Amino acid sequence: MNDPFTVLGVGDDAGDDQIKQRYLALVRAFPPDREPERFQAYRAAYEAVRDQRIRLEAKLLRTNDAALSRLKLAVVAPSRPVCGRATKATVTALLLEGIDRACTKVSGSSEL
Amino acid sequence: MSNLLRQSSFQEASVPPLAVKATEALRLGDFKQAIDLFKRLVKQEARPEWRDALAEAYAGRARILAAKGMFEEAEIALSKTAAPDGTIQDPLLYVQCLVKRSQLHKAAELAVKYVGNDKVPAAAAPKFAELAAGLWLVAPVPLSPPADQKSEAGKWVEHAAAAQQSLTAWIEGKPPQEIDQLLSRIPLRSAFRALRLILKSLMIAADDPARARQLLDGIPPESAFAPFRLAVEAALPAGPAEPVAMPTSPSKAQQVFAVEVKGLPSAASQSLVQLTKAERSGPGALLSFLASQTGTLPADDVKCACLNLLPQAPHRLRQFESTFGPLSEFDRNRVLALAAEAGNDWGRAERCWTIAAQSIEPAAGTETGLSAGVIYRHLAHLAHEHPEIEGEQTSEFPEIEYLELSLRADPDHLPAVLQLIGLYRTHRQDRDWHRLAEDAAQRFPEESAVLLQAVDSAIARKAYKKAVGFARKLLTLDPINQAARQRMIELHISHACKQIRSKRADLAWKELAEAAEWERPGAPSFLLRINQGLVGRELGQEPDAEARLRQGVELAGGGVAGWFRASLEHALMNASDANAALLRHELTRAQQAAAPTKEGILSIVSAVSGKEASESKRAVGGLIFRIRGWLLKGGSLAWSAAEFHPIAEMFRRVNAYDLLGDYAKLAGRREPEDATWRYYQLVASSKGDPGRLSFGETEELFHIEEAAARRRDFHTVNRIQRFIKGSGPNSAPRRGSRRVSRADLMDFDDDDESLDALSELLAMGLEGTPPDMVKRMIEKLGQRQAVMALVDRIRASPLGAMPEPLLRELAKNIVESVIATNGRPMHE
Repeated sequence: MNDPFTVLGVGDDAGDDQIKQRYLALVRAFPPDREPERFQAYRAAYEAVRDQRIRLEAKLLRTNDAALSRLKLAVVAPSRPVCGRATKATVTALLLEGIDRACTKVSGSSEL
Repeated sequence: MSNLLRQSSFQEASVPPLAVKATEALRLGDFKQAIDLFKRLVKQEARPEWRDALAEAYAGRARILAAKGMFEEAEIALSKTAAPDGTIQDPLLYVQCLVKRSQLHKAAELAVKYVGNDKVPAAAAPKFAELAAGLWLVAPVPLSPPADQKSEAGKWVEHAAAAQQSLTAWIEGKPPQEIDQLLSRIPLRSAFRALRLILKSLMIAADDPARARQLLDGIPPESAFAPFRLAVEAALPAGPAEPVAMPTSPSKAQQVFAVEVKGLPSAASQSLVQLTKAERSGPGALLSFLASQTGTLPADDVKCACLNLLPQAPHRLRQFESTFGPLSEFDRNRVLALAAEAGNDWGRAERCWTIAAQSIEPAAGTETGLSAGVIYRHLAHLAHEHPEIEGEQTSEFPEIEYLELSLRADPDHLPAVLQLIGLYRTHRQDRDWHRLAEDAAQRFPEESAVLLQAVDSAIARKAYKKAVGFARKLLTLDPINQAARQRMIELHISHACKQIRSKRADLAWKELAEAAEWERPGAPSFLLRINQGLVGRELGQEPDAEARLRQGVELAGGGVAGWFRASLEHALMNASDANAALLRHELTRAQQAAAPTKEGILSIVSAVSGKEASESKRAVGGLIFRIRGWLLKGGSLAWSAAEFHPIAEMFRRVNAYDLLGDYAKLAGRREPEDATWRYYQLVASSKGDPGRLSFGETEELFHIEEAAARRRDFHTVNRIQRFIKGSGPNSAPRRGSRRVSRADLMDFDDDDESLDALSELLAMGLEGTPPDMVKRMIEKLGQRQAVMALVDRIRASPLGAMPEPLLRELAKNIVESVIATNGRPMHE
């Protein structure tokens, strides 16, 4: 699973209340009936960090990617407006990702 | 004419056997065989239905190959399904195969050809059209102008041109008005709708990110444009209350997209590439790379990321310390402990964890206390899993020792409290059990699991008033707690028995009336009914008393099993003879009325395995003798060895060696290869005393033991060892026979086996609780609570009068077995 703190968008020093409030905000923004996959991901992340003992267990007994995820975000996501344009190669790569996934789904759902 | 008709009808009616075989192969999904047979048939005569069936078989084979990832082979198989007009059986799969093989132009050409074609099922048509749209934008093959411009295919071609122009215009940085004009030619029902939403969203992103996000919400996750959508979404600036996180890690293309659309310097893109490369080279390389980036990336995060990488690369410890300064004793030992665990060095892991825990002052309630608690619980878990974990020898059991330490550091951790109570009970550390149960009841007064433990503890140390207090408190919190009710009913019955033994039937009746208060409406206890009936008859309360007795007998399974249970309760009461005649009469009548069944006999086994019954060998022996004839008939039932072990134990306990011998003899005839039966024959013939075995019999027993050791059947090895060794000084083996087994024994506890056998027994008795139900219980309640719930169900069954620890262990076994078999029945 991806780092739960990054998924929820909270710092790894956040307390129970802050985590809960953030989770509820996410559920309101992405309700399970509209975005079931996102909801599942948020739910799993919340379950993984909702209690102080659980967080300590994760922090002490497992390696976690929270800091690494933050570093990646720091590289790609300084707060600048979206005003540039992507290259054709990047758009093609994104479309190919989608085609590859959709191919399996469309083919899997069809019955001839 | 009549000849022609005859010929035609003959042809219709006669289906060659090969065709029947081929059709059957196709029906069963044996496509390889079907292809082979239909090919031969088509060669003989090219009937259209055989040609169609051959194509169908090829399509089926292609699906199987594609599912295995053999796309090239699948593509070849699909190409053979082509009809005379060039259409193929499964165009969707064909497109998939081509895409997987990176033949994008061919895939686009094919996909475009099938847009609006009836070969694509109607349900999949919109998604297929969208897939074709994505494919065509990636690999734009020339589109032929459609004959009918208003058809689906015609509209698709028209929208394709607009979509391509819009996308190119956006990439080339054309003004928004121009792009808008092009986008307006793509209707919202078009297969290119997602592209329109994405481009529109990108154009308004800087001014109105919320609206941009809203537009993107119109693209479902299964769309071919979904990764494009996520990339745009990740690049959008977040409002103060807006969630920005993506639940999955962005792909490389998505990251590059963010760099490009935000106009970030190329250094960022380069850093990203380097980071990804270092990540692929392993934790050591990544740590090295990050450590070199302290000047360009946020220093705290770099240090934190490196610290997290250290357990996977402990050889970089020195590099880490030279970059970030020395680690604290706690962090150093934590890193080393995790590294030791990764290398399965459990002794070293234990040492390092212990130093780490000791290095932080475990102050209860504070974070350091909680941290120490976490570490000690982890050590307890490791001690359970790995015998190399030894503890500091303050307890015989390191798991207990570490749990005790964890509670000292973090006394409010309920699961640890319950686990430790369970361990104290299992290891018969009664004083510690009672102390902890009492403490826990004060610390967690609202927790039903704790209160139930307090009830058990109070009953065990005969603190009846306390037990009642805890039980009442528990039922206030959880009114349907069957376990607490059952405990209290049993407690009152036990008191009633004492009163009866003191010839105070009136007081016993009072006790039973109090027991009845604990009964849940609609869930009568067979034990209570039987005891009420027996005591009521002592007091001359007829005919009500007899009715209650009969009701209890029926609840206990009826027939011989039910009347045996009633007779056993009567014997344990050591009451007057008021009931003896009735019970003897009914037990005799039940034996004549019905032949023995496995369930009936196993129910009797369950009844005599209760604590009080185990202590009353004489009473039980007398009762077993009374149903001897009936039990004898049970020998012809097809017992498995696992089912038979508890029965054999019952016979051995009451010295019914003749019955044991008969059962073993009959079973041996049924299964002569199974040495279990020969073993039991030898036990029976020696009346449980190996000193009575002849030299040949002793040698035979050793042979059986050695054979069992060879096939690693340690249950049998252990059983034979116990029989030989556990018979006291008067049972020396025959001179010359080998006293010590040559079998290489594993450390193995025979209790496990009797639990296995009893678990099977319970599985039969618990037909109302099939594995699926247990699985649901586990899913709903979690493993621990499922065990408790199952204990309640077993207790309510006629097999429920077993001692509590045994009952709990059995329920645990069933739950674990269901988990291990993923919900399949245990006897499978």
